[in-house]
This record gives sequence, structure tokens and C-alpha cells, in this order.
Amino acid sequence: MARLIFELKGVYFSYHGKIPALCDINLNIEEGSKIVIMGANGTGKTTLLMLLDALIFPQKGYIRALDREFRENLLNDWEFVRFFRSKVGLLFQNPDVQLFSPTVKDELIFSLLNLGFTQKEIEKRLSKIVQLFRIKELLDRAPYQLSVGEKKKVAIASVLIMEPEVLLLDEPTAGLDPQTTRDIIDIILKENSLGKTIITATHHLEIIEELADKVYVLGKENKIVRSDYPKEVLYDEEFLLKYNLAHIHYHHHKDLVHTHLPLHND
Amino acid sequence: MRVNSFIERSVVSAFSFFRESVLCENYASKRGLLQILSPPIKTLFVFFLLLAVFFSKSIIFILAVYSLCILLSYLSSIELRFFLKRTLVFVPIFYLVIALPSLFNVFTPGEPIIIFKIFNLTLNITHQGLFSFSILFLRVLTSVSLCVLLITTTFKYELLKVLPIFGVPHIFVLIVGMSYRYIYFFVEMFQNTYLAIKSRVGFIPSIKKGQFLVGANIANFWHRSYNLYNDVYNAMLARGYYREVKLPRSAKPHFVDWAFLVIGIFILGLSLWQG
Repeated sequence: MARLIFELKGVYFSYHGKIPALCDINLNIEEGSKIVIMGANGTGKTTLLMLLDALIFPQKGYIRALDREFRENLLNDWEFVRFFRSKVGLLFQNPDVQLFSPTVKDELIFSLLNLGFTQKEIEKRLSKIVQLFRIKELLDRAPYQLSVGEKKKVAIASVLIMEPEVLLLDEPTAGLDPQTTRDIIDIILKENSLGKTIITATHHLEIIEELADKVYVLGKENKIVRSDYPKEVLYDEEFLLKYNLAHIHYHHHKDLVHTHLPLHND
Repeated sequence: MRVNSFIERSVVSAFSFFRESVLCENYASKRGLLQILSPPIKTLFVFFLLLAVFFSKSIIFILAVYSLCILLSYLSSIELRFFLKRTLVFVPIFYLVIALPSLFNVFTPGEPIIIFKIFNLTLNITHQGLFSFSILFLRVLTSVSLCVLLITTTFKYELLKVLPIFGVPHIFVLIVGMSYRYIYFFVEMFQNTYLAIKSRVGFIPSIKKGQFLVGANIANFWHRSYNLYNDVYNAMLARGYYREVKLPRSAKPHFVDWAFLVIGIFILGLSLWQG
């Protein structure tokens, strides 16, 4: 059995102490696996990623990550912060949140500088990531001078430059054109092939099969309502409709009007 | 219509201001003499020249520094028209409010050059007054020109990185940099919100309704900026921010940087030596 990266038992979190965002979450995530957290809007996907990245802490239950139990006071320990932040990277849904530095170059090296990497190591990693993402011409640009796709690429690059063992991705392909979506999926899959654990939160059905060995579905009650293999979930029409994860649409095949879910075998 | 045009004017003004900022950044990205200098050294060079202009009492010396500004703007690929427009715009305000009275014997007594009467009051333009006026005028013009050269040929974020040299804490530099970055984000959002209102209601029929819309949007933007602040802080934590922020350093100085620094010190020395 592979090493457990995350172990969640009975996790509960609410905003302002009264709006439940996650209830009774039990989850085991193994090293090197690809996990997708599915769910309609407001079911707690982003909150779950924030918990996994130790940005917020459960009010009930517990989380063990990388062999240590999360406690809020752990973040006062610089050694833990340095260890954990360099091992776990989080991609935020909105790239404008993540790109807070004045230039792309400053953005890319922010984490390395703040985690205490040497100048030599910073330069080495910067050159590697710039080459991988082909973003050399963007280095001196300000975030407001980038397109949405470029922003997303830079945001992912700013996480991958840390070379984390675990990637937490919040809607990595939201709002992107098909080619950029493809590029980003390829990058994610490459990282997984290098042994990295990928945890993606999304409700975009078309990318789930590629990005998941296993799917966890969050329901309106902010609980995990199903954990299964992607194919089992994606072709369960009744289930997808019930949890607002798909809609029936119709289109024309010559003169025939055809109705189905976004994904179908026929 | 009045409220509507007020909002529209504000949106248009905000955008033209930011367009102008971006235009300035275009000069910073051009290839030119001042652009290749390291920002900290360039700032020190300008600082030394400002001190030299401040201490000098020689019109010829200040004129020489001003000529150097014009030459540097040419060598830095800045259009002369743009440069003069930027620098001379401040001068009439200064000229009228502060420098002009110094021409007269009321403020600067001395040897009269021109004598005239206003409402039985005899006024003289004195030799000393004319000298003070010219010195003040040229000092302002040259100082403004030096600052415009520095701002125009340097990216704003590079200028911010210079501040820690003068003892400004890194966290302050980071916050100012972020504010600058997110102003664009909010201006764009504000423009889109305004267009959304316009597309649905056309024009705003009454002042009261206009005030209501503006008020509601201010509250909405405050709420969004508060959420953004929380998210950005989390994004910083997620990428290793821990109590004290570390910022990237500017590039190492080269030979040309040291040469400019020496020239700056020499000009300051010359000014002090002249007394």
C-alpha cells in the first residue's frame, strides 16, 4: 500500500460558525494518486482544498498530512512552514488572487525567496520553469498585461517552481480556451507521471476522466456523497443530474434532434 | 443626465490616467541610456543631482544641469515634446503662486530695474528679485525634469524596490506594489460594472438614482476588495510567506552604473565647492 499523504477523519468546517461548508469528511489520499473532487457550486470544494493546504483548520475531526497532524499552532513553527509549503502547492481558482507581485518574474520566485532558497537555486529553477512553460517573453510583464490563459499558466508555474510533492488545483481549466486547457492538462499529467500527487477540484466533466484515478463527489449537504472510479460516476446520468453536475442538452445530427448528457457513449 | 455624465467622466478619466501610466512604462521598456542603468544607482544619481541643484546659487550651473536633463532624455529615447510637456506643466503653477512675488521689492528688496505703480502703490522689480526668481524657476524646472527622467525611464516596481535602500521596510514596499497592481484590477472591474449598468438602463434618469447606484457600488467594491485581501493573504501564505516578506533584489550594477554614480558625486561636489 502506498504512503498516505492526507488522512481526513470526520472533518467539519463552517464559515462564521454558522454556515457549514464541509460536514463529516472522511478521505484517504495516497502518494502519487490523481484525485478529483467534484461538486456543484457551493458544495465546499475550495474549502476542502484550503483545509488540505493548512490555510484554514477543521473545527471538528482531524487532518493528518505528510505524517503530521494539522494543528493551527504548527504554522508558528518556521521549520514546519518551510517543510509543508515546499511540499504542497495550491493553485487558486482566480489567477488574479495568486498573481500579486508586480511582474511575472517576481511572482515566479516569490515562494523560493520566502522559503529561503539560495540565489543559485532560484536562478536554476526559474530558468527550468520558464523553459517548460515557454514564458520567457512574459517575465518582465505585469499581471494586468497578461491574457486569462497566460495568467493561469503563470499561476501554475509559480506553484510548480517549488517542485511540490502534492498539487492542489482549484478549477485549473476554468475560463480557458480549448488549446490552453489541453496544455494545462498535459502539464498536470506530466507532473503526475513524475510521481506527484494531484488533487483537482472541478465540475468540468470533460477533464475528469484524464485527471482522476478516483473521484469524490460533494453534495449539497456539503458531505461526500460518493467516491468511485471516474467512469462509474461520469456515466451515471441519474446521479449527475441529481447533484447538478450535468444537464441534458440537445443538438442536431442532420435532420435528427438528439438529446443527451454532455458525456455519452453513443 | 448630469449624474450619468459625472460617472462617465470619472470612468474615462480613471482610464486615461492609467493609459498614461502604461504609456510611461513604454518609455521604461525602450532601449536608452538611462534605461540600462541599475534602478538603485539611477535613483542615487538623480538624488545627487537634485542636491546639487538645491545647493547651487549659480544660474549657469543649474542651466547646465537642465541641459544635461535634455541630453539624457534624448539619449534615453524620450520624445522631446513629451518630456517638455511633462516638465513644463508644473512650472506655471509654481511661477504664479510662489516665484512671481519674489520679483518685487516687497519680498526681495534691492536695486530696482523696472518701476511701476498699481493703485498708488509703487512696485519695483529688483535686480536681486529677478535673480531669486530665475534661480527658483530654474531649480524647480530642473528638479522636476530630473524626477520625470527617473520616473519615465524606470518601471514603477523597480522604483519601489529602491525604497529599502532608504530604510523603507520590505512589507511597505510589497503593500504599495500590490496596491498599484490591484488598482488596475479594480478599475477594470469598475468599468465593466459601469458598462453593465449602462447596457441595462441606458442613462440614469435622476440624480437620486445615480447616487444610489454609486453608493451601492462603493459598498460592493469595498466588500470585494475585502474578500480579495483575504484571498491574496492566503495565496501569500500558501507560497511560503512567514511573518517577514523577502523581495527580489535589483540586478547587480555594471561599469556604466558606477560611472554614473561618480558623475553624480562629482556634480554634487562641484555645486558644494561653488558654495
